[in-house]
Amino acid sequence: MSWPQFVTVTLNGLTLAALYFIVAIGFTLIFGVLRVVNLAHGSLYLFGGYLGWSVADRTGSWVLGAFAALLVTALAGLVLQLGLLQRIHGQELREALVTIGVSIVAADLMLARWGGFTYDFSPPKVITGGLRIPLLDVGYPRYRLFVLAFAIVLGLVVWFVLARTRLGIIVRAAIDDRDMVAAVGIDVQRLFALMFAIGAGLAGLAGVIGGSVLSISSGEDARYLLASLIVVIVGGMGSLPGTAVAAVLVALVEQYSLALFPTYAAIVSFLLMVVVLALRPQGLFGRPA
Amino acid sequence: MRKLWLVGALVLLCFATFPLWGSAYFVGRIVTPALCLGVIALSLSLLAGYGGMVSLAQMTLAGLAGYGYGYLTSTLGQPWWIGVLGGLTVATLAALAFGLIAVRSTGIYFLMITVALGMVVYALANQNRSIFGGHTGILGIRAPELFGHSLGERTLFYYFCLTIGLVTYGFVRYLAGTPFGLALQALRDNPRRLSTLGYNVALHRVTAFTVAGFLAGIGGLLLVWYNGAISPTTIDLTRLINILVIAVIGGLAYAEGAFLGALVFVLVTNFASSFTQRFNTLIGLTFLAIVLFSPEGLSGIVLRLWSLLRRTLLARLAPSRHAGF
Repeated sequence: MSWPQFVTVTLNGLTLAALYFIVAIGFTLIFGVLRVVNLAHGSLYLFGGYLGWSVADRTGSWVLGAFAALLVTALAGLVLQLGLLQRIHGQELREALVTIGVSIVAADLMLARWGGFTYDFSPPKVITGGLRIPLLDVGYPRYRLFVLAFAIVLGLVVWFVLARTRLGIIVRAAIDDRDMVAAVGIDVQRLFALMFAIGAGLAGLAGVIGGSVLSISSGEDARYLLASLIVVIVGGMGSLPGTAVAAVLVALVEQYSLALFPTYAAIVSFLLMVVVLALRPQGLFGRPA
Repeated sequence: MRKLWLVGALVLLCFATFPLWGSAYFVGRIVTPALCLGVIALSLSLLAGYGGMVSLAQMTLAGLAGYGYGYLTSTLGQPWWIGVLGGLTVATLAALAFGLIAVRSTGIYFLMITVALGMVVYALANQNRSIFGGHTGILGIRAPELFGHSLGERTLFYYFCLTIGLVTYGFVRYLAGTPFGLALQALRDNPRRLSTLGYNVALHRVTAFTVAGFLAGIGGLLLVWYNGAISPTTIDLTRLINILVIAVIGGLAYAEGAFLGALVFVLVTNFASSFTQRFNTLIGLTFLAIVLFSPEGLSGIVLRLWSLLRRTLLARLAPSRHAGF
């Protein structure tokens, strides 16, 4: 591999990791706090992408589209939690089945509304175009660097909220021991609803941000659900640092293997998951169940 | 209980004589695919109903059997029986490998890992050209020929699927009564107690998963003979989920439910499409309603109605004998 190629592949891996992180962080938050495996997470991603595109198309503002995606999918998540999941809370498998049912209906309705077309976003001029990176001396799309920066900022914000605020303390406590949190008088149902809304909103936002890297079309829901699953399984279910590390690991492995042996790239990320499961079934940062 | 047997015999008679009075469309396009899908869903019923392991990879295992058969017979030109053996071996070995990977996790973790495994096989099938045929898959797969008749003939294939369906159903019911099946059910209810009693929990889980993989492989062969081709779409996320939908609609805890669910599923997908394009929404909503309101599925509803009917009839007709039942 030549130097520019190596740098490009590494940067591709890092920016993909950023995207995986943005998508999977919502999945992790929902899983960590509610113990709900949200198999409709990919649908929320796709919904956010479509919706963001439609809003951006009408208003001509990409930023407005991203905000709309964030808000509406957060609302959708809230409805999903309060309307369907709350009543069967604690029955983990049934909750997972409900999210599967929702993803079936959502996929079909989105196909009816947006069809099988591919939608391209046009992000603001400031973050598009190419950029010559000074020290490394390679050209790279500016937008992908923006995704990387965004993921880092998002990670820092999430870290700050979790480490320094009251909400963060409650969330961390809930990840460790939900019953105890309820026992000390915190309204866990409200916390659950809030977490679901945040997780879903992040998935929707990821739909616009990720959709702008390439494009958005039906089938992306399955792709990003798989990415979230692998990242969360590798990182440790419910662990936030695990999600960040696993996103980088999975994406780098994927991009390097895509560059070195393109045909079998899919198996390599799978092997990574198998190795982690064989050595540490709870994931890299997960605690034993 | 004897009356339930009677109902079973009547249902069987219905199915056995169906090609004589049913329309060709119903025989070939509704009941036959329902039987194929039913066998695959049955493998999930075995895992979930008796073993408490809800797997989303059953369609993947079925698809691997189909790919194995297609590769050996269509691509390499081998005779059908090598294809059958090869396909079943591939499905069973893959199930063993999946089982070994996923065995240490239970419940939703198991579900997540099996769906991830299934989607990785999908990605592999989509990318690999030399064996899986890439995006197009393997075309022109022919059913075996026996005594000069192709199994692909409509009525013959119907009876073949019916026989396989009955045999696999009987096998699962039989397995549930064996010491292995009983241990499996105990493991579903309380794995810790079972391991205290000296049972090897992991071994039972992996064995169950492997056996279910074999069953799914049989269903996969039927399905690939029915379709005559296989492509990555056969094992995409939607199809993986469809098998779960079928088993849940029919009743995850009942072996009969797999076939009942498959019949309802095929009926809905075929006939709802004539009055609405959104039949997947209809299926999704049905699935949601069953998960939320009747976890026992249609089998549970039927059984409840049956016992209600029996009680009312008994109370009406022979109040004095009521105690005897």
